[in-house]
Amino acid sequence: MTQPKYRRSFGDLSERALAFWLLLPAAMLLALVALYPVARLIYTSLFRRRLTDETGLSPVYVGLSNFAQALSDERFWTALWNTLLIVLVTVPGALLVGLLLALLANLPFRVKWPVRLGLLLPWALPLVFAGLIFRWFFDSQYGVVNDILVRLGGERLLWITTPDLLFWAICISIIWKSSSFVALILLAGLQVIPKELYESAAVDGANRWQSFWRITLPLLTPAILVAAIFRTITAFQTFDIPYAMQNGGSAFETLAMYVRTTSIENLNFGYGSALAVLMFLISFAVTLVYLRYVRGAED
Amino acid sequence: MRLSTPRIWLWLAAAIVMVNGFFPAVWILLTSFKTEGELTQIPITWWPENPTLQNYIQAFTGAPIGRYFINSLIVAVGATLLCVFVSALAAYALARLRIPYKTLIFSLLVGVSMFPTVTLLLPLFEMVLALGLRNNYIALILPHAALSIPVATLVLVSFFQGIPRDLESAAMVDGCTRLGALWRVVVPLSAPGVFTASILAFVNSWDEFLLALTLMPSQAMRTLPVGIQFLQGEYTFPWPLISAALVIALVPVALVIAIFQERVVGGLTQGGVKG
Repeated sequence: MTQPKYRRSFGDLSERALAFWLLLPAAMLLALVALYPVARLIYTSLFRRRLTDETGLSPVYVGLSNFAQALSDERFWTALWNTLLIVLVTVPGALLVGLLLALLANLPFRVKWPVRLGLLLPWALPLVFAGLIFRWFFDSQYGVVNDILVRLGGERLLWITTPDLLFWAICISIIWKSSSFVALILLAGLQVIPKELYESAAVDGANRWQSFWRITLPLLTPAILVAAIFRTITAFQTFDIPYAMQNGGSAFETLAMYVRTTSIENLNFGYGSALAVLMFLISFAVTLVYLRYVRGAED
Repeated sequence: MRLSTPRIWLWLAAAIVMVNGFFPAVWILLTSFKTEGELTQIPITWWPENPTLQNYIQAFTGAPIGRYFINSLIVAVGATLLCVFVSALAAYALARLRIPYKTLIFSLLVGVSMFPTVTLLLPLFEMVLALGLRNNYIALILPHAALSIPVATLVLVSFFQGIPRDLESAAMVDGCTRLGALWRVVVPLSAPGVFTASILAFVNSWDEFLLALTLMPSQAMRTLPVGIQFLQGEYTFPWPLISAALVIALVPVALVIAIFQERVVGGLTQGGVKG
């Protein structure tokens, strides 16, 4: 890391004291909003506590039995499985679409801003809005997707009311929404690949296809990995898009949706906390892998 | 340059990226000018037949979009100011000062940014209930500010590192204290970084749904994402109204993004890749 060449104190503040005071406000805010809640969550997960009965006021310590309950809860496993399916479909999907968009956006356009805005707009669109818009794109009667299908000679599909089709409609919406963020990260990666590499490859007689496989893809791999890990962690938390597309319904339920329903709608704080702890642990494991990778890349 | 690309391919490439990015926005813009009657025609129309502004009037009079807009604005501006202020202090310390366990602090920052929001939801809900802050702007401003601290700090650290240390040393040799140097040299020079961090924090807060849905449940306190989601009825979908509301909600953010694209892209990749 960068070390100052000098070590002096100014006024009454030594460098360490100054650092402490500068870091304190951010640390306090994060402790209040992120660290304390996680500690509280773990604590509550050990109690039977529902606001709908007497345990709301006097929680009963039950050890790990909330976790045991989760393991035999079919709805938990379904929600976990749905969430994993979302990760398995939308992460590779968003990476592929994002890579394609990045390659297209990296072409030598004379005017760059319209294309860049085309990548930024989906990123800035709130997830809920993306969910609402795609809910309506996939509307069986008035949706533009079925309109195009019919124009192409196909049949109307009941996207929202058929479970399998609903899953795919949700995946397509997520891929659309998240691929532009992936594209922006990959575009930054593409722009630092030295042009000379392509020139000398062209001199050696390589065609575009070979340049892509031999130069672009290997040099882009670190950026692709970072985007993949980011996407995995966010896809695991999927909530907004399926919530908006089902108008709050739970025909297709992700883990985040089940956690919220249990804790906030049903006011089952103890069990909801246990579900959240499980979700947190899985997410934490992925983050550790990420941090290890990032540190490895910095060395 | 690379192998030259024929112009037609360039146009095609640009068209693909732009249709992908703009189509949903253009579609709701077109729909927002349609009448309810036109919407339920089969086959559906693409271009509005009798363009009307009725949906926009309806959005402000029949639905409290104005109120939602103000709620969103108060929360997002409050969260942005708080977040960027505390992040700038922390980022300066991380970029310039000798701090033990610096790598650990960076890891913690990135780690916290990966916390699933839904796992923080219940404890925050309990805290807000206990403090009687439900339906209070503070209940949303504090978590929104905190959740953007990691990205804002990472963006600002890389900006501070880009400011030549000599400038600061020179100011200190000339008799400034470190804080004086910070205020007179570093702050003015880091305005672009502060601005980038602000845009990212603002967009994060403007877009956030889960906490807003849970911590500000009363209708008068809904932010735009929550308020517009609830325009969907149980059996009815007033799409022209929803579209007009979406356009109203999207225009400010789209404008900011369009004007400051390069900053946003730079900030995103710094906060992301360098994280």
